Amino acid sequence: MIHVTEETKSGWRVLSVRGRADADAADVLEAALRAAIDQHPKVAADFSALDYVSSAGLRAVIQGARAAEARQVEFAVCSLSPNVRKVFDMSGLHHILRIHGELPC
Amino acid sequence: MKDTPGVWHNQAIPYRAEFSLNGDLSELERLTAVVAQFCTGCALDDAAEFELNLVLEELFVNSLRHGGCEGMRDCAQVRMRCAANGVEVEYRDRGRPFDPTSAPNVNIHAPLAERSDGGMGIHLVRGIMRELRYEREGEWNRVTMLRPVATNRKG
Repeated sequence: MIHVTEETKSGWRVLSVRGRADADAADVLEAALRAAIDQHPKVAADFSALDYVSSAGLRAVIQGARAAEARQVEFAVCSLSPNVRKVFDMSGLHHILRIHGELPC
Repeated sequence: MKDTPGVWHNQAIPYRAEFSLNGDLSELERLTAVVAQFCTGCALDDAAEFELNLVLEELFVNSLRHGGCEGMRDCAQVRMRCAANGVEVEYRDRGRPFDPTSAPNVNIHAPLAERSDGGMGIHLVRGIMRELRYEREGEWNRVTMLRPVATNRKG
């Protein structure tokens, strides 16, 4: 189960993601990221309340990053828990994403 | 065990869990619940629970998406046992033959545009687990592995 809420802060569209980004929920995450990226020049994914991510969730983030690159949208991933951060690092996503300790806004 | 996954314990018998999964993504919820119960029983920390959950999800989703297990009743069986050096895990499925120990490596240094959509799940399994072994037993794929836990017990 995953929940995404959105707000605008200092020019950034911030998506706060709560719950589990598993194979059953990854499509919801990807759709939310894509919709925000389609409409805003700066998008930040706040993962501070993301409890879990699998490769399906990573894929959703990668697709979001690709969409952002194609549209020249600034895309930032923020506030990963240690367990989630480890999965991002094992997958090499820290090489290709802007990962922040805190929200950039 | 089918509908009521078993986790039990006393001082003589180490913690074990054994359960079957039907070929439906909604089974992930039950998988998560059984892993949580097992980890509580073994006094394992959040990191161990997270990683066991992740490894089993990746193998199970692989069985559904690539092994032909979608819609199949009792398509996968999981056994976990808390041992002195870690959690011993056995994952079996009735999908097409697939050896995760010999799957191609993923290039984790590839730029965004060249990222492949496949292979990351097995990459994570191999990164987390030790002593991975695969064999084909009749119509079953069987993977055995160990998640070391020496430094991950609570308390």
